[in-house]
Amino acid sequence: MTSLLEMRGIVRCFGPLRANDGIDLTVEAGHILGLLGENGSGKSTLMKVLFGMLPPDAGTIAFRGRPLAGHHPREAMEAGIAMIHQHFMLVEAMTVTENVMLGWPDAGRILKRGEVAERVRETSRRFGLDLDPHVPIAGLSLGRRQRVEILKAILRKADLLILDEPTSNLAPPEVADLLSILRRLKSEGKGIVFISHKLPEVLEVCDDVVVLRAGRVTGRAPVAGASRAQLAEMMVGRDITAPHALTPREPGPSRVVARELSAAGLSPLSFEIRGGEILGVAGVDGNGQLELVDAIAGLNRARGGTLVLDGNDITHASVAARVAAGMAYMPADRGHRALVRDMTVAENLMLRDSRREPYARGWLLDAAGRTRSARRLMADYDIRAAGPGAITARLSGGNQQKVVIARELDRSPAVLVAHQAAWGLDPGATRFVLDRVIGLRDAGAAVLYVSSELEEVLAISDRIAVMSGGAFVAIVRRADADLRQIGLWMAGRAA
Amino acid sequence: MTEPTPSAPSTPVAKPRLPFGLEISGEGLALRILLAVLLSILCAAALIAAAGHDPISAFAALIAGAVGTPHQIGVGLNRTTPYLLAGAGVALCFRAGVINIGAEGQIAVGGIGGAAAALAWPAALSPLAIVAALVGGALAGALWSAIATAIYLGRHVHEVLVTLLLNFVALLLVQQVLAGPLGQTGAGFLQSPLLPRESWLPRIPGLDAHPGFIIAAVVAAALSLILWRTPFGFALRVAGSSRKAAAYAGFSLSGITWGVMLLAGALAGLAGAIEVMGVHHRLIEGFSLGFGFKAVTVALLGALEPLAVIPAALFVGLLEAGSLSMQRQIGVPSALVAVIEGLTMLFVLAATVRRT
Repeated sequence: MTSLLEMRGIVRCFGPLRANDGIDLTVEAGHILGLLGENGSGKSTLMKVLFGMLPPDAGTIAFRGRPLAGHHPREAMEAGIAMIHQHFMLVEAMTVTENVMLGWPDAGRILKRGEVAERVRETSRRFGLDLDPHVPIAGLSLGRRQRVEILKAILRKADLLILDEPTSNLAPPEVADLLSILRRLKSEGKGIVFISHKLPEVLEVCDDVVVLRAGRVTGRAPVAGASRAQLAEMMVGRDITAPHALTPREPGPSRVVARELSAAGLSPLSFEIRGGEILGVAGVDGNGQLELVDAIAGLNRARGGTLVLDGNDITHASVAARVAAGMAYMPADRGHRALVRDMTVAENLMLRDSRREPYARGWLLDAAGRTRSARRLMADYDIRAAGPGAITARLSGGNQQKVVIARELDRSPAVLVAHQAAWGLDPGATRFVLDRVIGLRDAGAAVLYVSSELEEVLAISDRIAVMSGGAFVAIVRRADADLRQIGLWMAGRAA
Repeated sequence: MTEPTPSAPSTPVAKPRLPFGLEISGEGLALRILLAVLLSILCAAALIAAAGHDPISAFAALIAGAVGTPHQIGVGLNRTTPYLLAGAGVALCFRAGVINIGAEGQIAVGGIGGAAAALAWPAALSPLAIVAALVGGALAGALWSAIATAIYLGRHVHEVLVTLLLNFVALLLVQQVLAGPLGQTGAGFLQSPLLPRESWLPRIPGLDAHPGFIIAAVVAAALSLILWRTPFGFALRVAGSSRKAAAYAGFSLSGITWGVMLLAGALAGLAGAIEVMGVHHRLIEGFSLGFGFKAVTVALLGALEPLAVIPAALFVGLLEAGSLSMQRQIGVPSALVAVIEGLTMLFVLAATVRRT
């Protein structure tokens, strides 16, 4: 018997990044497959390839035994694949029935509104969707809107439903309803791919689970009999490479002290980072990490509490004042925030220091000083580019990140805030970044290292904070870190 | 770390953002603009031929009318001045990612400011009358721009909308002051009394032009210096390229916006005052009609580089000055020049702007 869906050896690259690196995925009719993985692990890319939104660089897709190649979303839909996006594609001013009819050949050339409404009512009853055909979308909760999308998929006779993080916007009772709807669909013989990073839901509803990490399948197991702890371990990964040898070092006095610091998206946080210490922050992406690093860097205004750097209260200091006080920040968004892509390497190297020597003298910028400084930094940090005048967008990801590191570290900062600093880099560049961060620690700076790659955090941290739901669930010393426990903490509040 | 490093051009090319997710693409820009201009001239030639005239002699008359005599050159330079002043300011705003379409109104209000200052200036201080009127125009333009900026930053109304709509208010304001405090009673139409002679801009000997063009060229050069050689210019270029990066760099986005808007407003206001003091010697209803919109065209034609706005403004200014003599001598309607301008704009945009 052929499987409903068989994807074989799917490869998809974005420049040097292999977002999908030889992925096999099989979905059976009447089964729910959980697809687990962090942001950037390749889940979305894989689903876009399946749905025809991205052509794969290699690999084959067979649906009901028939190959799908070079297809478009429309063909995927016609073949019987439906995708329920995180953000719904509904017209708010129209009713449920009208949204169902949009772009649906079965609605007829002359619209059979009454007939469609009857089918909406009947299908809604059969699958427990509880939808009134005549209510405008604008009056529905997010959970109900999602059911409209599911309804559309059912009426279009989809056999395979892909749900991308379907529970991320739902309240707990709506989640329970969704899961029972999915079971109903399964019992009618539909295949379902359930993309999530929330372990309890996966355990509750899925038959099998596939874990992706860094574009590869790192785990594959039936859910029956699997425990939450096992799944957590699979998601976090067993193949932890030998941690960098952090020279044991007696940390100095506290350099960064946060007391009940709160801001948009952050519960009040208290922590200290001492000189010569790296505090790693682990957690599933989207649990307040960005809000935390931005709050420290001055881009997310503090609503309460205090933040002190080397004895100076910087709770309400501007970004520029924090830079002057010795704050270095490597943002996760390299392309649009940490760098100005269409400016030169030299200009990017002066981005946060443009009013100071050697970049400015009096009223004017010092072009000679800028070039001199750029040449020195390019040599010191091994930035491979045609020259200081090279356009930054043309550098590889690793070299772009080196530009950021060179700029932020050359200031000899008191504190470094690094967010996803090694994201998307090849092993060599990753090593370079981690070594430089450790070098800064050894020189006595305080480092906050935030990453959704637990291995990286474990490899580089003196202490590890686990973040979930905008708060620190726990802070442990690396020596005391228990992988299984950290995985549970990471999944904990997000679940 | 063995990734190949692609070669890159050695000169910085900046790609300022335009509205609707568009940008000016960087490489070979000058050549593409020249080709676009050439293409528009060819199209104009075809149109002239289709209308039954000889394109060669029409263009000869056009060129002769633009630069044939010192007098004609002077007329052309006077025409160029407001385009250059306002256009250079608009270019700076666009570079900062602020789409300022308000030059039209800022010029008009600048004319009011210049005329009011000239009329009110005490005769005892007449040696300073010119400076006073120029400053009055610049201040008025900056004030008009400040209103737009305050609404834009304070209420988050899209800047295109605010600046555009204030233009119409400004034009009505000109009518209003001419019907009231600045109006000349007894005149057949809306105009102010003649300004005192001390406030008239002098003529450049032998050229029949006022020195406005020289002021404008110096201003354009200064703006280029600001853009490329000062920390403020760097900050505004970063802001124009990526707001997020500008915030991360510690630049104040509202500070940058105020800076470029006040500067552009003052320059447009200055243009209005110069027009009043150097050409008409009085404030007249509709004295600046279309100048500010054409300044946006000129800024884009100059690829938002203040120095390149000089030839762009000259192109448009001289073309318009020559159009009348083309009409006189060959019978080709001078409105055709408006067609050439429109075509040039279309081709230049097609050649330079692309989706981000």
